[in-house]
Amino acid sequence: MALRAARRRFRAWARRHSYSFFSSLGTLLQHRLGTLMTVLVLGIAILLPLGLYVSLKNMDRLDVRQEDWSAISVFIPGTMAAAEVEALAEAARDRPDVQSVSVISPEQGMAEFREVSGFGQSLETLDENPLPWVVTVLPAEVDTRGSTATLSLRIQSLMDFLERDERVESVQFDYKWLQRLGRFLDLGRATVLVLGLLFGVAVIVVVANTIRLDVAARADEIEIFALVGASHAFIRQPFLYSGFWYGLMGGVLAVLMMWLALFYLSIPLKRLLDVYGQGFEIYSLSPVQLIILLLSSGLLGWLGAFLSVQRYLRMLVVGGSLGRR
Amino acid sequence: MIRFEQVSKRYPGGNQALSGVSFEIEAGSLVFLTGHSGAGKSTLLRLVMMLERPTHGQVLIDGQSLNHMPDKQAPSVRREIGMIFQDHKLLFDKTVGDNVALPLLIAGLRYREIRKRVRAALDKVGLLEKEKAWPLALSGGEQQRVGIARAMVAMPPMLLADEPTGNLDPDLSWELFGLFRELSEAGVTVLIASHDLSLVKRMGARVLVLSDGVLIDDIPARSGGAAF
Ligand SMILES: Nc1ncnc2c1ncn2[C@@H]1O[C@H](COP(=O)(O)OP(=O)(O)O)[C@@H](O)[C@H]1O
Ligand SMILES: [Mg+2]
Repeated sequence: MALRAARRRFRAWARRHSYSFFSSLGTLLQHRLGTLMTVLVLGIAILLPLGLYVSLKNMDRLDVRQEDWSAISVFIPGTMAAAEVEALAEAARDRPDVQSVSVISPEQGMAEFREVSGFGQSLETLDENPLPWVVTVLPAEVDTRGSTATLSLRIQSLMDFLERDERVESVQFDYKWLQRLGRFLDLGRATVLVLGLLFGVAVIVVVANTIRLDVAARADEIEIFALVGASHAFIRQPFLYSGFWYGLMGGVLAVLMMWLALFYLSIPLKRLLDVYGQGFEIYSLSPVQLIILLLSSGLLGWLGAFLSVQRYLRMLVVGGSLGRR
Repeated sequence: MIRFEQVSKRYPGGNQALSGVSFEIEAGSLVFLTGHSGAGKSTLLRLVMMLERPTHGQVLIDGQSLNHMPDKQAPSVRREIGMIFQDHKLLFDKTVGDNVALPLLIAGLRYREIRKRVRAALDKVGLLEKEKAWPLALSGGEQQRVGIARAMVAMPPMLLADEPTGNLDPDLSWELFGLFRELSEAGVTVLIASHDLSLVKRMGARVLVLSDGVLIDDIPARSGGAAF
């Protein structure tokens, strides 16, 4: 008996909700232009932190390829005899603080350059090869988390050893640049967090304002609903759904814009990275992240609507203006 | 059913709308409320609807004092009352049928059941063929009848009407009052505010007379009622 009553109450509740659900969609479709404007604003607000996040994620993956960056490049004039260069490479290999050493001759360098640049024919006409020998020295166990100071100390003797050799023209070490990139990424991540919070609040405010206008435009309707015995929950429901739809559509728009931007950037970016010989997949949101993003956009919209409607309904009760002419 | 105990209402502006009003209305009876404009008729109905709170005294429905009910419970009180408004209070962006359906939507009835009851209520007020029409395409009298259909559709035990004949010609008014009598004979408690004294007297029902917020007369029903 009690179960039956509960089931009936649940069905009535479900029917009321389905009514609110469809009436909220109807309202949004009725005011297409206004809805579009709001969704556009929301989409941009969500896109800003999202876009920064995705950009950082992509840069992060460059960071992971640290061995490419932590190698020391030693340049030796192209005129140097191969045996001399090999002797230097051998001396470096014998050091305990060296992991590996590779040698690229001017001829190899030229061949590679020809292939990559497509300047094959015109380079034939050069009488002499302008490229130097390049000896790449990879230091042993570079700890990327160390500060610049400790790192320099650790690597200093190796650098000194290479620089002191009179065969060597110059020594280049890009690690500082890498570390700067790392710090830049840290700053970026903090910025994403702050932007995310700020624009999350922006989404709430934009939806709250839209719903406030919506509520004001439908004050008569709300009054009539209240007069025939609608509870606050029932009156509130369609607006909450509207808020959810606004947020969700804003999120969908932001994701679409992000995909479009990534697609547009993917072609030149792939070309660039292929030149550097890096197999590179552009990072986008995973399905789980996508669902979380869309849901939280929707929930922020819902929250904005809730705050807005709640205030208005309280006014309705406290002011007691219901049904008064 | 409805009981007023020494009810006074003073609006924030300082207007004393009601002063020490006491009466009781039995379930299933038909009662008229008259008095000059500004006598306090609308205020009295609004107190029953919990749209206003009394300044003094208390209003009881089925022995329960509304004073002890929080605002949160006002909707459930209103659902037990069908209210007819002088200015109809229709939704102009919804069809006649959807307007009448409103109380049933709130109750969460099944769609088929809602349609059935809406048509029955519209039939009762002679507007069955206007189910799909828009309220603005209707005359004032027809709009009033849509409001009446909406008030009756959920079959509430109590019906309140504030100047329901304001926009109707005498024939239609008389017909409408007949409908109210039918409803009361079916067990619904009906309380109608009207300043149309001659019409009210012809009905032969009980009449409460307000003047400047004071209940100055309580005329009992003539036995046998009015001749139709
Ligand atoms: N919301 C209000 N605020 C202040 N005074 C009001 C309000 N509503 C009605 N009154 C006053 O209360 C008195 C009774 O009004 P009302 O109940 O509307 O009378 P009736 O319906 O009999 O014409 C009038 O003097 C009116 O001006
Ligand atoms: Mg009045």
